[in-house]
Amino acid sequence: MSSTERSDNVAHGRGGGSVANDQVAAEFVEQWRNAAYNCYSSGHKFCREVCPVMQVTRDEVHTPTAFHANVVAMEQGHLSIEDVARDYVHCTQCGACELRCPNTLFTGDFYRFRTRTVQLVRAMRALAVDSGIHQPNWQRWVEETVRQKSEPVLGEVPVSQENVRNWADGLDIPIGGETLLFCDCEGAFYRTSVPRAAARILQQAGVEFGLMREQWCCGGPAAEMGYRDRAREFAEHNVNDWRAVGARRIIVFDPHDYISFTEDYPGYFGDEYDFEIVLLVDLLAELIRDGRLVLSQPVDRIVTYHDACRLNKRKGIHETPREVLRAIPGLTFKDVDHVTQWSYCSGAGAGLGIERPDLTAEISRRRVERAAGLGVDTLVSACVWSERPLSEQGGKRDQPVEVMDLLELVAQAAGLDGSEVAR
Amino acid sequence: MTATSVTDPVIEELAQICGTDHVFAGKSARFNRARVPAPFPVHRWADHVPDVVVLPTSAEQVSEVVRLANRYRIPVVPRAGGTGLTDGAVPLRHGILVDVKLMNKILEIDLEDRAVTVQPGINMLKLNEELRPNGVIYPDDPASYPCSLVGGRIGTSGWSLIGGRYGHTRDLVISFQIVLPTGELIRVGDGGGRKVRKSSSGYQLKHLFMGHQGTLGIVTEATLELVPRPEAEFAAFFSYEDYETAWRSTGALARSGLATLAGVVLFDEWKLAYLRRDDEAYIPQPDSVRCVVATAMYGTTDEVRPAAKRLLRIAQESGGSYLGDEISQGDWASRHDRYATPLHGRLRTGQVVPMSWHCEDASINWSALPQVREEWHEIVRRLVDRHPIFDDWGMFAYTNGAFKPWGDYLTEIDVGIWEQELDDETWAAWVEAKRDIAAVALKYGGSISACHGSCREGEVDLVPQEMGGGFEVMKKIKRALDPNNIMNPGKYLLDQAYEGGDST
Repeated sequence: MSSTERSDNVAHGRGGGSVANDQVAAEFVEQWRNAAYNCYSSGHKFCREVCPVMQVTRDEVHTPTAFHANVVAMEQGHLSIEDVARDYVHCTQCGACELRCPNTLFTGDFYRFRTRTVQLVRAMRALAVDSGIHQPNWQRWVEETVRQKSEPVLGEVPVSQENVRNWADGLDIPIGGETLLFCDCEGAFYRTSVPRAAARILQQAGVEFGLMREQWCCGGPAAEMGYRDRAREFAEHNVNDWRAVGARRIIVFDPHDYISFTEDYPGYFGDEYDFEIVLLVDLLAELIRDGRLVLSQPVDRIVTYHDACRLNKRKGIHETPREVLRAIPGLTFKDVDHVTQWSYCSGAGAGLGIERPDLTAEISRRRVERAAGLGVDTLVSACVWSERPLSEQGGKRDQPVEVMDLLELVAQAAGLDGSEVAR
Repeated sequence: MTATSVTDPVIEELAQICGTDHVFAGKSARFNRARVPAPFPVHRWADHVPDVVVLPTSAEQVSEVVRLANRYRIPVVPRAGGTGLTDGAVPLRHGILVDVKLMNKILEIDLEDRAVTVQPGINMLKLNEELRPNGVIYPDDPASYPCSLVGGRIGTSGWSLIGGRYGHTRDLVISFQIVLPTGELIRVGDGGGRKVRKSSSGYQLKHLFMGHQGTLGIVTEATLELVPRPEAEFAAFFSYEDYETAWRSTGALARSGLATLAGVVLFDEWKLAYLRRDDEAYIPQPDSVRCVVATAMYGTTDEVRPAAKRLLRIAQESGGSYLGDEISQGDWASRHDRYATPLHGRLRTGQVVPMSWHCEDASINWSALPQVREEWHEIVRRLVDRHPIFDDWGMFAYTNGAFKPWGDYLTEIDVGIWEQELDDETWAAWVEAKRDIAAVALKYGGSISACHGSCREGEVDLVPQEMGGGFEVMKKIKRALDPNNIMNPGKYLLDQAYEGGDST
């Protein structure tokens, strides 16, 4: 065998999946070729050093540049989806590369252009799934989610529909209503203190809200892993449930849900999708500004804020979390600006932690180390999915860094004591 | 003779040296390390693919890989950021690609003797993030500042935008460790001391290994200059109604002797026309503005403040009009990102098409700039006449000297290329144009390249002419250090150093 025909990968050693559907692959290439050339033609790789995965692996096939170049190589007949599918696991869909891309920087202001690497990664993952190439842990994750209707997060509460509202025990939250609080899977079954804090804060501020009759996973993880049809099934169920109770307004605290409901769902349902999606941290800032939520209990902590990728890099939301933090009395807030944080991440997004938990752990370790370097005792996040890997790393340090959700902190400052919030 | 002979036993040995997790033979790993941002014959991609990729983590591993390659006579190509604008990192003969990106550690920050020692895979922006809290920076500032890596900067002998004040890569790298083509690990500098800037001891080997484009070994560690983080920056842009005035003003500014002057950049009329037409990030200028000169100064506030007044006076007395703070501060800040230009160019009909940017660079003395500019634009005009997939994006001339920015200029002509449409005929036309551009540089006493390297197809043909008797010395050195021609073979016509002029 001549070496140029070699197709095995020593490091990953995986066999190929099913044979790709040529027609599907051709349509994919046709759809993405010009976008890919926009990156390939410049090839500057400004994205490389800001990419959280690349900072750890330093492997050029994990660069956003490579993600685009592969499309060109597929068009030229050099690579197939079998050759590249595994590379696309190495992305948290944080969006840093898009912001740092010179093509975004130089034409973004004028044309509102943004290099869409996250969409490309999702599309390539979907092409892999459609071609019968599965990443084993993602496949299992999605199958379990389909079976239980919620993601199989490992927590104290067994994941099932019977338990999906356990987090709200004793909080007297009605079912249905015009405004719903959507609780993501990690919050519902693992870090239940976050949704409890969310609910108690809203109750304290006099915001009326209810829960879904039957809440399923938002479908975002399945969409991110390439299981488009599955993702859509979740979305259809949830939207039907919202409609059935007459909901008009959905409050979310998880940035991943926020992406699903403001980007994916409108794509599924078009103009019929007319729900107002409210990000809780935005609402909190407004409630505090209006004096409807009073934070009067000093919180004696030295904190820094972890910009959640999907808020900061994907949605440009970095001011309201800081506004809320600055409203908490007693807090010493050592901020790192949101642009510097383009290169920060917990590594938990887009299924990376499911297929490459080693990378998620290392990305989190580096993030916590940066926080520790500021001399803080607490790293505050506004993304519940980031909090498990960050907490694990924070706890391993000689001088531990505690990881708290912004909502947990706000609940304390609002005088909602631990027994009301934690379960 | 070197030939591609990477077999399974070789890969197993590589895995023993670097670890299984750091050896890649899969197709995507190899295809994605075949190219750099320099124009690339997409239709000949497969010709440039390495056989196997290794990501070593230590100098010893690099040394072992090179020894193995020597034993089996397998080509070795080093790769750092892969952001170069010549194709030093493009494998011409396949073989083993040594990717140094995992070697990205800071080994020592010495604030007393003002030196930082790093591995070659670190990026300058990332390095400066760590240095800044100490009040110092490493001021190597190419357009590729956010993405190029220290190893590649040495491999190409890079140029820095603020070199007039702080020097260029060769001035900023105090010493470095390199694995020779036969596997020995040596340190080169000015003399022997790792942190010694000036020595009269022995040959000055540092310069020999600066800009070798991977033909003389692989850099595994470098000790770099630290300078105080500048207290003050002053950037000013001036406009001119004609090229002649702008060119004379550029010369007057560069010769001013102001020690804080970091650089002067001259935009020609073609560049202004192009920016007006297609660069959405460029701040619009009135039609009467035909040329622009940009300047920047760095230093302490006590130095920069009075020097800025002097600079403004020189510019105004030589016919320039200050363009205001918005462009001066904003556009200077984005100079780094000039590496990026719009993601499109135009056909003669005005139709927008996705084009890649390429810049041909040369070192040209100030006195020759006007003539070179005329002849270069004419070469590109003829190219575009024949092949509309090319587009003239104008010229810049940047002061090129280290610490004293007069004399010669990094002179570049930017050409848009619609790479999707490249075929053998248009590629040949491009190569011919590059050769013609290089010939003009030499005709006027210049050098083919100020910062990219001159080992690409086309221009490389003229390297023996530029180097004269020095090219014979280059060949003798190459043969002496790399008896089996394994280090990046095919580059710089150095195959001529071996029997029969062709080692493959």
